[in-house]
Amino acid sequence: MARLFLPLGHHSEPIDPDLWEWLSTKMNHVLGIDSGAMVLLLGAVIVLFPVVVMVLVWRRR
Amino acid sequence: MSNERAGSKSSQKKQGIYYGWYVIAALFFATFLAIGSRQGFGVFVKTWEQDWQISTATVSIAASVGWLVNGVSQPFVGRMTDVYGGRRVVVISLMVMAIATIGVSYVTNIYGLIALYGFVISFASGGISPATTGVIVARWFEKKRGMAMAVLIAGGSVGGLIVVPFLSYVLIEFSWQTAYWLVGGLALALGVPLLLVVVRSGPEDMGLKIDGEDSSGISDSEIVVKSVGPMFVEKWRDSLGSKPIWQLSIAYFVCGITTASISVHFVRWAISEDISTGTAALAFGVLSGINAAGVLVIGLLSDRWQRKNLLGAVYLVRGIAFISLIVLPGSSAIWAFAVIGGMSWLATVPLTASLTADVYGVRNLGTLFGFANMAHQLGGAAAVMLFGWAFTVWGSYDVPFAIGALTLLVAGIVSLSIREKRVSVRYSQVTPVPDGAAVDSGSGGVGTSSQGGA
Repeated sequence: MARLFLPLGHHSEPIDPDLWEWLSTKMNHVLGIDSGAMVLLLGAVIVLFPVVVMVLVWRRR
Repeated sequence: MSNERAGSKSSQKKQGIYYGWYVIAALFFATFLAIGSRQGFGVFVKTWEQDWQISTATVSIAASVGWLVNGVSQPFVGRMTDVYGGRRVVVISLMVMAIATIGVSYVTNIYGLIALYGFVISFASGGISPATTGVIVARWFEKKRGMAMAVLIAGGSVGGLIVVPFLSYVLIEFSWQTAYWLVGGLALALGVPLLLVVVRSGPEDMGLKIDGEDSSGISDSEIVVKSVGPMFVEKWRDSLGSKPIWQLSIAYFVCGITTASISVHFVRWAISEDISTGTAALAFGVLSGINAAGVLVIGLLSDRWQRKNLLGAVYLVRGIAFISLIVLPGSSAIWAFAVIGGMSWLATVPLTASLTADVYGVRNLGTLFGFANMAHQLGGAAAVMLFGWAFTVWGSYDVPFAIGALTLLVAGIVSLSIREKRVSVRYSQVTPVPDGAAVDSGSGGVGTSSQGGA
Protein backbone atom coordinates (compact mmCIF):
# COMPACT_ATOMS: atom_id res chain seq x y z
CA MET A 1 0.00 0.00 0.00
CA ALA A 2 2.80 2.35 0.90
CA ARG A 3 4.43 2.27 -2.52
CA LEU A 4 1.15 3.04 -4.21
CA PHE A 5 1.73 6.68 -3.44
CA LEU A 6 5.25 7.12 -4.72
CA PRO A 7 4.87 7.45 -8.46
CA LEU A 8 7.70 8.42 -10.78
CA GLY A 9 6.98 11.55 -12.63
CA HIS A 10 4.44 11.96 -15.33
CA HIS A 11 3.78 15.57 -14.52
CA SER A 12 5.12 16.32 -11.10
CA GLU A 13 4.94 13.30 -8.86
CA PRO A 14 7.69 12.17 -6.51
CA ILE A 15 10.37 9.98 -8.06
CA ASP A 16 10.42 6.33 -6.98
CA PRO A 17 13.13 6.01 -4.29
CA ASP A 18 14.24 2.53 -5.42
CA LEU A 19 14.67 3.65 -9.01
CA TRP A 20 16.51 6.73 -7.89
CA GLU A 21 18.90 4.76 -5.70
CA TRP A 22 19.78 2.53 -8.65
CA LEU A 23 20.12 5.47 -11.05
CA SER A 24 22.34 7.50 -8.72
CA THR A 25 24.63 4.52 -8.16
CA LYS A 26 24.94 4.07 -11.92
CA MET A 27 25.55 7.77 -12.46
CA ASN A 28 28.32 7.79 -9.87
CA HIS A 29 29.85 4.71 -11.47
CA VAL A 30 29.70 6.10 -15.02
CA LEU A 31 30.63 9.73 -14.31
CA GLY A 32 33.09 9.10 -11.54
CA ILE A 33 32.77 12.69 -10.32
CA ASP A 34 32.61 13.26 -6.58
CA SER A 35 29.39 14.57 -5.15
CA GLY A 36 30.83 17.96 -4.20
CA ALA A 37 31.80 18.65 -7.82
CA MET A 38 28.39 17.51 -9.01
CA VAL A 39 26.71 19.92 -6.57
CA LEU A 40 28.76 22.76 -8.04
CA LEU A 41 28.19 21.67 -11.64
CA LEU A 42 24.44 21.20 -11.39
CA GLY A 43 24.11 24.23 -9.13
CA ALA A 44 25.88 26.34 -11.74
CA VAL A 45 23.45 25.14 -14.43
CA ILE A 46 20.48 25.99 -12.22
CA VAL A 47 21.84 29.46 -11.37
CA LEU A 48 23.03 30.36 -14.86
CA PHE A 49 19.75 29.71 -16.65
CA PRO A 50 17.70 32.50 -15.00
CA VAL A 51 20.69 34.87 -15.02
CA VAL A 52 21.12 34.42 -18.78
CA VAL A 53 17.39 34.92 -19.39
CA MET A 54 17.36 38.11 -17.29
CA VAL A 55 20.42 39.49 -19.12
CA LEU A 56 18.81 38.80 -22.49
CA VAL A 57 15.59 40.51 -21.41
CA TRP A 58 17.45 43.56 -20.07
CA ARG A 59 19.43 43.84 -23.32
CA ARG A 60 16.22 43.56 -25.34
CA ARG A 61 14.62 46.40 -23.37
CA MET B 1 -4.39 31.15 -38.87
CA SER B 2 -3.70 34.76 -38.31
CA ASN B 3 -4.57 36.14 -34.97
CA GLU B 4 -4.87 39.83 -35.29
CA ARG B 5 -4.65 41.75 -38.45
CA ALA B 6 -5.84 44.89 -39.98
CA GLY B 7 -8.57 45.07 -42.51
CA SER B 8 -5.93 45.51 -45.12
CA LYS B 9 -2.58 43.81 -45.32
CA SER B 10 -0.35 44.67 -42.43
CA SER B 11 3.34 44.35 -42.03
CA GLN B 12 4.53 41.11 -40.50
CA LYS B 13 7.99 42.42 -39.81
CA LYS B 14 9.62 40.65 -36.89
CA GLN B 15 11.58 42.55 -34.29
CA GLY B 16 14.11 40.03 -33.03
CA ILE B 17 12.98 37.19 -30.83
CA TYR B 18 9.31 37.51 -29.91
CA TYR B 19 9.01 38.48 -26.23
CA GLY B 20 6.67 35.56 -25.64
CA TRP B 21 9.64 33.21 -25.88
CA TYR B 22 11.32 35.00 -22.94
CA VAL B 23 8.10 34.50 -21.01
CA ILE B 24 8.28 30.81 -21.90
CA ALA B 25 11.89 30.70 -20.66
CA ALA B 26 10.93 32.23 -17.31
CA LEU B 27 7.94 29.91 -16.89
CA PHE B 28 10.17 27.02 -17.96
CA PHE B 29 12.48 27.81 -15.02
CA ALA B 30 9.59 28.08 -12.56
CA THR B 31 8.19 24.75 -13.80
CA PHE B 32 11.66 23.28 -13.66
CA LEU B 33 12.00 24.23 -9.96
CA ALA B 34 8.45 23.28 -9.00
CA ILE B 35 8.46 19.87 -10.64
CA GLY B 36 12.05 19.18 -9.69
CA SER B 37 11.40 19.88 -6.04
CA ARG B 38 8.20 17.80 -6.01
CA GLN B 39 9.91 14.86 -7.69
CA GLY B 40 12.84 15.27 -5.34
CA PHE B 41 10.63 14.09 -2.48
CA GLY B 42 11.43 10.49 -3.44
CA VAL B 43 15.15 11.08 -2.92
CA PHE B 44 14.65 11.73 0.79
CA VAL B 45 12.19 8.97 1.69
CA LYS B 46 14.77 6.56 3.04
CA THR B 47 16.62 9.29 4.94
CA TRP B 48 13.42 10.38 6.66
CA GLU B 49 12.62 6.77 7.52
CA GLN B 50 15.96 6.48 9.29
CA ASP B 51 16.01 9.94 10.88
CA TRP B 52 12.47 9.83 12.19
CA GLN B 53 12.19 6.06 12.71
CA ILE B 54 9.05 5.76 10.62
CA SER B 55 7.89 3.43 7.85
CA THR B 56 7.69 4.07 4.13
CA ALA B 57 3.91 3.92 4.50
CA THR B 58 3.98 6.82 6.93
CA VAL B 59 6.18 8.96 4.68
CA SER B 60 3.90 8.07 1.81
CA ILE B 61 0.99 9.76 3.55
CA ALA B 62 2.64 13.11 2.83
CA ALA B 63 3.09 12.15 -0.85
CA SER B 64 -0.49 10.90 -1.23
CA VAL B 65 -1.96 13.95 0.49
CA GLY B 66 0.23 16.10 -1.76
CA TRP B 67 -1.00 14.32 -4.86
CA LEU B 68 -4.66 14.90 -4.03
CA VAL B 69 -4.16 18.47 -2.80
CA ASN B 70 -2.26 19.28 -5.99
CA GLY B 71 -5.13 17.89 -8.06
CA VAL B 72 -7.84 19.70 -6.12
CA SER B 73 -5.89 22.97 -6.19
CA GLN B 74 -5.90 23.17 -9.99
CA PRO B 75 -9.40 24.55 -10.59
CA PHE B 76 -8.87 27.11 -7.82
CA VAL B 77 -5.54 28.41 -9.09
CA GLY B 78 -6.91 28.22 -12.63
CA ARG B 79 -9.84 30.42 -11.60
CA MET B 80 -7.46 32.84 -9.86
CA THR B 81 -5.49 33.03 -13.10
CA ASP B 82 -8.60 33.85 -15.10
CA VAL B 83 -9.64 36.54 -12.62
CA TYR B 84 -6.34 38.13 -11.51
CA GLY B 85 -4.00 37.27 -14.37
CA GLY B 86 -1.37 34.59 -14.67
CA ARG B 87 1.58 36.72 -13.57
CA ARG B 88 0.27 37.33 -10.06
CA VAL B 89 -0.66 33.70 -9.58
CA VAL B 90 2.67 32.22 -10.70
CA VAL B 91 4.70 34.77 -8.72
CA ILE B 92 2.73 34.26 -5.49
CA SER B 93 2.65 30.48 -5.99
CA LEU B 94 6.41 30.24 -6.47
CA MET B 95 7.00 32.56 -3.50
CA VAL B 96 4.78 30.45 -1.22
CA MET B 97 6.33 27.25 -2.55
CA ALA B 98 9.84 28.59 -1.96
CA ILE B 99 9.14 29.69 1.63
CA ALA B 100 7.42 26.39 2.43
CA THR B 101 10.32 24.48 0.88
CA ILE B 102 12.76 26.32 3.13
CA GLY B 103 10.35 25.55 5.97
CA VAL B 104 10.65 21.81 5.26
CA SER B 105 14.34 22.02 6.18
CA TYR B 106 13.27 22.86 9.76
CA VAL B 107 10.73 20.04 10.02
CA THR B 108 11.47 17.41 12.63
CA ASN B 109 8.62 14.97 12.21
CA ILE B 110 6.14 13.57 9.69
CA TYR B 111 3.36 15.92 10.76
CA GLY B 112 5.39 18.93 9.72
CA LEU B 113 6.15 17.23 6.41
CA ILE B 114 2.49 16.47 5.78
CA ALA B 115 1.55 20.07 6.59
CA LEU B 116 4.24 21.73 4.49
CA TYR B 117 4.75 19.28 1.62
CA GLY B 118 1.34 17.61 1.55
CA PHE B 119 -0.68 20.81 1.78
CA VAL B 120 1.29 24.04 1.28
CA ILE B 121 3.88 23.05 -1.34
CA SER B 122 1.48 20.81 -3.25
CA PHE B 123 -1.22 23.49 -3.36
CA ALA B 124 1.25 26.20 -4.34
CA SER B 125 2.84 24.05 -7.03
CA GLY B 126 -0.64 23.79 -8.56
CA GLY B 127 -0.14 27.49 -9.30
CA ILE B 128 2.86 26.64 -11.46
CA SER B 129 1.08 23.94 -13.41
CA PRO B 130 -0.32 23.94 -16.96
CA ALA B 131 -3.60 25.27 -15.52
CA THR B 132 -1.83 28.59 -14.93
CA THR B 133 1.30 28.61 -17.07
CA GLY B 134 -0.73 27.25 -19.98
CA VAL B 135 -3.08 30.23 -19.74
CA ILE B 136 -0.18 32.66 -19.96
CA VAL B 137 1.24 30.78 -22.95
CA ALA B 138 -2.15 30.71 -24.66
CA ARG B 139 -2.42 34.49 -24.29
CA TRP B 140 1.02 35.06 -25.80
CA PHE B 141 0.80 32.51 -28.59
CA GLU B 142 -1.85 31.42 -31.01
CA LYS B 143 -0.17 30.33 -34.24
CA LYS B 144 2.58 28.48 -32.37
CA ARG B 145 0.52 27.68 -29.29
CA GLY B 146 1.14 23.95 -29.51
CA MET B 147 4.90 24.31 -29.83
CA ALA B 148 5.10 26.93 -27.08
CA MET B 149 3.11 24.70 -24.70
CA ALA B 150 5.31 21.74 -25.60
CA VAL B 151 8.52 23.65 -24.83
CA LEU B 152 7.10 24.63 -21.46
CA ILE B 153 5.98 21.10 -20.64
CA ALA B 154 9.41 19.79 -21.60
CA GLY B 155 10.74 22.07 -18.83
CA GLY B 156 9.22 19.69 -16.33
CA SER B 157 11.20 16.78 -17.77
CA VAL B 158 14.41 18.80 -17.71
CA GLY B 159 13.67 19.83 -14.14
CA GLY B 160 13.43 16.22 -13.12
CA LEU B 161 16.70 15.43 -14.87
CA ILE B 162 18.65 18.27 -13.23
CA VAL B 163 17.02 19.19 -9.93
CA VAL B 164 16.54 15.62 -8.68
CA PRO B 165 20.25 14.68 -9.13
CA PHE B 166 21.20 18.06 -7.62
CA LEU B 167 19.14 17.32 -4.52
CA SER B 168 20.60 13.85 -4.33
CA TYR B 169 24.19 15.09 -4.43
CA VAL B 170 23.46 17.82 -1.88
CA LEU B 171 22.01 15.08 0.35
CA ILE B 172 25.21 13.06 0.00
CA GLU B 173 27.54 16.02 0.49
CA PHE B 174 25.59 17.89 3.15
CA SER B 175 22.14 16.93 4.45
CA TRP B 176 18.50 16.76 3.38
CA GLN B 177 17.87 19.99 5.29
CA THR B 178 20.51 21.78 3.21
CA ALA B 179 18.97 20.37 0.02
CA TYR B 180 15.54 21.79 0.83
CA TRP B 181 17.03 25.08 2.00
CA LEU B 182 18.97 25.43 -1.25
CA VAL B 183 16.02 24.68 -3.55
CA GLY B 184 13.74 27.02 -1.62
CA GLY B 185 16.45 29.68 -1.58
CA LEU B 186 17.09 29.36 -5.31
CA ALA B 187 13.38 29.67 -6.04
CA LEU B 188 13.12 32.75 -3.82
CA ALA B 189 16.35 34.43 -4.93
CA LEU B 190 16.23 33.60 -8.64
CA GLY B 191 12.86 32.16 -9.63
CA VAL B 192 10.63 34.85 -8.13
CA PRO B 193 12.70 37.81 -9.44
CA LEU B 194 12.86 36.16 -12.87
CA LEU B 195 9.07 35.84 -13.00
CA LEU B 196 8.62 39.42 -11.75
CA VAL B 197 11.02 40.86 -14.31
CA VAL B 198 10.09 38.78 -17.33
CA VAL B 199 6.55 37.44 -17.13
CA ARG B 200 3.52 39.45 -18.14
CA SER B 201 0.04 37.93 -18.23
CA GLY B 202 -0.42 38.76 -21.88
CA PRO B 203 1.23 40.66 -24.76
CA GLU B 204 -1.14 43.61 -24.33
CA ASP B 205 0.57 44.31 -20.97
CA MET B 206 3.66 45.28 -22.96
CA GLY B 207 1.90 46.90 -25.85
CA LEU B 208 2.60 43.89 -28.03
CA LYS B 209 0.39 41.76 -30.23
CA ILE B 210 -0.22 38.06 -29.84
CA ASP B 211 2.36 35.96 -31.75
CA GLY B 212 4.50 39.10 -32.11
CA GLU B 213 2.61 40.40 -35.07
CA ASP B 214 3.68 43.87 -35.99
CA SER B 215 0.93 46.45 -36.12
CA SER B 216 3.19 49.33 -37.13
CA GLY B 217 1.73 49.37 -40.63
CA ILE B 218 -1.83 49.73 -39.44
CA SER B 219 -3.35 53.14 -39.90
CA ASP B 220 -5.77 54.68 -37.44
CA SER B 221 -8.61 54.25 -39.84
CA GLU B 222 -8.11 50.53 -40.12
CA ILE B 223 -10.16 48.37 -37.84
CA VAL B 224 -8.41 45.64 -35.93
CA VAL B 225 -10.60 42.72 -35.10
CA LYS B 226 -10.24 39.79 -32.77
CA SER B 227 -11.46 36.40 -33.77
CA VAL B 228 -14.12 34.73 -31.74
CA GLY B 229 -14.61 31.01 -31.89
CA PRO B 230 -18.11 29.57 -32.18
CA MET B 231 -17.97 28.17 -28.64
CA PHE B 232 -16.18 30.97 -26.81
CA VAL B 233 -17.90 31.55 -23.49
CA GLU B 234 -18.28 34.51 -21.16
CA LYS B 235 -18.72 32.34 -18.08
CA TRP B 236 -16.91 29.05 -17.61
CA ARG B 237 -20.11 27.34 -16.49
CA ASP B 238 -21.58 27.95 -19.93
CA SER B 239 -19.04 25.56 -21.42
CA LEU B 240 -20.35 22.65 -19.34
CA GLY B 241 -23.36 22.36 -21.60
CA SER B 242 -21.18 21.67 -24.64
CA LYS B 243 -19.57 18.43 -25.72
CA PRO B 244 -15.88 19.30 -26.24
CA ILE B 245 -15.12 20.06 -22.58
CA TRP B 246 -16.45 16.64 -21.60
CA GLN B 247 -14.67 14.91 -24.47
CA LEU B 248 -11.37 16.53 -23.47
CA SER B 249 -11.87 15.90 -19.74
CA ILE B 250 -12.87 12.25 -20.18
CA ALA B 251 -9.80 11.64 -22.31
CA TYR B 252 -7.57 13.49 -19.85
CA PHE B 253 -9.04 11.45 -17.00
CA VAL B 254 -7.86 8.35 -18.89
CA CYS B 255 -4.47 10.00 -19.31
CA GLY B 256 -4.26 10.24 -15.53
CA ILE B 257 -5.33 6.63 -15.08
CA THR B 258 -2.76 5.25 -17.48
CA THR B 259 0.26 7.39 -16.63
CA ALA B 260 -0.09 7.30 -12.84
CA SER B 261 -0.65 3.55 -12.80
CA ILE B 262 2.41 2.90 -14.94
CA SER B 263 4.52 5.37 -12.93
CA VAL B 264 3.83 3.42 -9.76
CA HIS B 265 3.47 -0.14 -11.00
CA PHE B 266 6.06 -0.31 -13.77
CA VAL B 267 8.85 -1.57 -11.51
CA ARG B 268 6.56 -3.97 -9.68
CA TRP B 269 5.35 -5.35 -13.00
CA ALA B 270 8.98 -5.74 -14.16
CA ILE B 271 9.86 -7.64 -10.99
CA SER B 272 6.80 -9.88 -11.48
CA GLU B 273 8.20 -10.67 -14.95
CA ASP B 274 11.66 -11.48 -13.51
CA ILE B 275 13.14 -8.28 -14.91
CA SER B 276 15.65 -6.51 -12.67
CA THR B 277 14.96 -3.15 -11.07
CA GLY B 278 17.98 -1.81 -12.97
CA THR B 279 16.58 -2.80 -16.36
CA ALA B 280 13.21 -1.34 -15.40
CA ALA B 281 14.89 1.89 -14.37
CA LEU B 282 16.83 2.03 -17.62
CA ALA B 283 13.67 1.36 -19.63
CA PHE B 284 11.88 4.13 -17.76
CA GLY B 285 14.82 6.40 -18.51
CA VAL B 286 14.49 5.57 -22.24
CA LEU B 287 10.78 6.30 -21.97
CA SER B 288 11.53 9.71 -20.41
CA GLY B 289 14.07 10.59 -23.10
CA ILE B 290 11.74 9.66 -25.97
CA ASN B 291 8.98 11.47 -24.12
CA ALA B 292 10.90 14.78 -24.05
CA ALA B 293 11.59 14.56 -27.79
CA GLY B 294 8.08 13.29 -28.52
CA VAL B 295 6.33 16.19 -26.82
CA LEU B 296 8.32 18.70 -28.89
CA VAL B 297 7.55 16.89 -32.16
CA ILE B 298 3.86 16.68 -31.27
CA GLY B 299 3.90 20.37 -30.33
CA LEU B 300 5.36 21.26 -33.70
CA LEU B 301 2.87 19.11 -35.60
CA SER B 302 -0.07 20.38 -33.59
CA ASP B 303 0.42 23.86 -35.00
CA ARG B 304 -0.01 22.44 -38.50
CA TRP B 305 -2.52 19.62 -38.18
CA GLN B 306 -5.82 19.18 -36.40
CA ARG B 307 -4.98 18.78 -32.73
CA LYS B 308 -7.78 16.32 -32.04
CA ASN B 309 -6.31 13.90 -34.58
CA LEU B 310 -2.94 14.03 -32.86
CA LEU B 311 -4.58 13.71 -29.44
CA GLY B 312 -6.57 10.67 -30.57
CA ALA B 313 -3.46 9.13 -32.11
CA VAL B 314 -1.47 9.70 -28.92
CA TYR B 315 -4.06 7.84 -26.83
CA LEU B 316 -4.29 4.99 -29.34
CA VAL B 317 -0.49 4.68 -29.51
CA ARG B 318 -0.39 4.53 -25.72
CA GLY B 319 -3.07 1.84 -25.90
CA ILE B 320 -0.80 -0.20 -28.18
CA ALA B 321 1.97 0.21 -25.59
CA PHE B 322 -0.34 -1.22 -22.91
CA ILE B 323 -1.29 -4.13 -25.15
CA SER B 324 2.39 -4.86 -25.73
CA LEU B 325 2.77 -5.36 -21.98
CA ILE B 326 0.17 -8.13 -22.13
CA VAL B 327 0.98 -9.94 -25.38
CA LEU B 328 4.78 -9.74 -25.57
CA PRO B 329 7.20 -11.64 -23.34
CA GLY B 330 8.35 -9.49 -20.43
CA SER B 331 11.88 -8.90 -21.71
CA SER B 332 10.57 -7.55 -25.05
CA ALA B 333 7.50 -5.89 -23.62
CA ILE B 334 9.49 -3.59 -21.36
CA TRP B 335 11.40 -2.08 -24.29
CA ALA B 336 8.36 -1.99 -26.56
CA PHE B 337 6.53 -0.07 -23.86
CA ALA B 338 9.46 2.29 -23.28
CA VAL B 339 9.64 3.22 -26.97
CA ILE B 340 5.93 3.23 -27.88
CA GLY B 341 4.75 4.61 -24.55
CA GLY B 342 7.48 7.26 -24.53
CA MET B 343 6.11 8.78 -27.71
CA SER B 344 2.80 9.46 -26.03
CA TRP B 345 3.71 10.14 -22.42
CA LEU B 346 3.54 13.93 -22.05
CA ALA B 347 2.13 14.85 -25.45
CA THR B 348 -1.43 14.92 -24.12
CA VAL B 349 -0.73 18.01 -22.00
CA PRO B 350 0.01 20.63 -24.69
CA LEU B 351 -2.62 19.13 -26.98
CA THR B 352 -5.39 19.20 -24.37
CA ALA B 353 -4.48 22.69 -23.14
CA SER B 354 -4.24 24.08 -26.68
CA LEU B 355 -7.50 22.50 -27.77
CA THR B 356 -9.31 23.83 -24.72
CA ALA B 357 -8.02 27.32 -25.55
CA ASP B 358 -8.94 26.95 -29.22
CA VAL B 359 -12.49 25.88 -28.45
CA TYR B 360 -13.42 28.05 -25.47
CA GLY B 361 -10.97 30.93 -25.72
CA VAL B 362 -8.52 31.96 -23.04
CA ARG B 363 -10.86 33.96 -20.82
CA ASN B 364 -11.81 30.89 -18.76
CA LEU B 365 -8.98 28.60 -19.77
CA GLY B 366 -7.46 28.42 -16.29
CA THR B 367 -10.69 27.23 -14.71
CA LEU B 368 -11.56 24.79 -17.48
CA PHE B 369 -8.11 23.26 -17.81
CA GLY B 370 -7.86 23.26 -14.02
CA PHE B 371 -10.89 20.97 -13.86
CA ALA B 372 -9.36 18.74 -16.52
CA ASN B 373 -6.15 18.59 -14.49
CA MET B 374 -8.08 17.71 -11.36
CA ALA B 375 -9.78 14.87 -13.25
CA HIS B 376 -6.34 13.73 -14.39
CA GLN B 377 -4.95 13.64 -10.84
CA LEU B 378 -7.99 12.01 -9.26
CA GLY B 379 -8.17 9.41 -12.04
CA GLY B 380 -4.50 8.67 -11.44
CA ALA B 381 -4.95 8.31 -7.68
CA ALA B 382 -7.85 5.91 -8.12
CA ALA B 383 -6.08 3.86 -10.78
CA VAL B 384 -2.92 3.45 -8.73
CA MET B 385 -4.92 1.89 -5.91
CA LEU B 386 -7.08 -0.26 -8.21
CA PHE B 387 -4.05 -1.59 -10.12
CA GLY B 388 -2.46 -2.52 -6.81
CA TRP B 389 -5.63 -4.21 -5.63
CA ALA B 390 -5.97 -6.13 -8.92
CA PHE B 391 -2.38 -7.37 -8.71
CA THR B 392 -2.96 -8.54 -5.15
CA VAL B 393 -6.11 -10.42 -6.18
CA TRP B 394 -4.97 -11.95 -9.49
CA GLY B 395 -1.20 -12.00 -9.02
CA SER B 396 -0.79 -10.48 -12.47
CA TYR B 397 -1.10 -7.12 -14.13
CA ASP B 398 -2.75 -8.52 -17.27
CA VAL B 399 -6.29 -7.54 -16.27
CA PRO B 400 -5.46 -3.97 -15.17
CA PHE B 401 -3.30 -3.46 -18.27
CA ALA B 402 -6.14 -4.71 -20.47
CA ILE B 403 -8.50 -2.28 -18.74
CA GLY B 404 -5.92 0.45 -19.30
CA ALA B 405 -5.76 -0.38 -23.02
CA LEU B 406 -9.55 -0.37 -23.23
CA THR B 407 -9.84 3.03 -21.55
CA LEU B 408 -7.19 4.37 -23.94
CA LEU B 409 -9.19 3.07 -26.90
CA VAL B 410 -12.20 4.96 -25.54
CA ALA B 411 -10.08 8.10 -24.99
CA GLY B 412 -8.75 7.84 -28.54
CA ILE B 413 -12.20 7.51 -30.06
CA VAL B 414 -13.62 10.29 -27.88
CA SER B 415 -10.76 12.60 -28.87
CA LEU B 416 -11.14 11.82 -32.56
CA SER B 417 -14.87 12.52 -32.31
CA ILE B 418 -14.25 16.18 -31.40
CA ARG B 419 -15.48 18.25 -34.34
CA GLU B 420 -12.48 20.55 -34.29
CA LYS B 421 -13.17 22.26 -37.61
CA ARG B 422 -16.58 23.32 -36.32
CA VAL B 423 -15.67 24.34 -32.80
CA SER B 424 -12.07 25.56 -32.88
CA VAL B 425 -11.19 29.18 -33.51
CA ARG B 426 -8.36 27.93 -35.70
CA TYR B 427 -10.86 26.83 -38.32
CA SER B 428 -14.08 28.63 -37.62
CA GLN B 429 -14.82 32.12 -36.41
CA VAL B 430 -18.01 33.96 -35.78
CA THR B 431 -18.74 37.69 -35.90
CA PRO B 432 -15.52 39.60 -35.56
CA VAL B 433 -15.28 42.00 -32.67
CA PRO B 434 -13.49 45.33 -33.01
CA ASP B 435 -10.36 45.60 -30.93
CA GLY B 436 -11.10 47.27 -27.63
CA ALA B 437 -14.45 45.56 -27.38
CA ALA B 438 -12.87 42.18 -27.31
CA VAL B 439 -14.91 39.30 -26.12
CA ASP B 440 -11.80 37.38 -25.33
CA SER B 441 -8.60 39.18 -24.73
CA GLY B 442 -5.74 37.31 -26.12
CA SER B 443 -7.69 34.86 -28.15
CA GLY B 444 -6.94 37.07 -30.80
CA GLY B 445 -7.49 37.27 -34.22
CA VAL B 446 -8.67 37.45 -37.50
CA GLY B 447 -10.95 36.50 -39.74
CA THR B 448 -14.56 36.55 -40.27
CA SER B 449 -15.18 33.22 -41.79
CA SER B 450 -14.14 29.66 -41.58
CA GLN B 451 -10.68 28.80 -42.60
CA GLY B 452 -9.41 25.56 -43.83
CA GLY B 453 -6.61 23.77 -42.24
CA ALA B 454 -4.77 20.61 -42.18
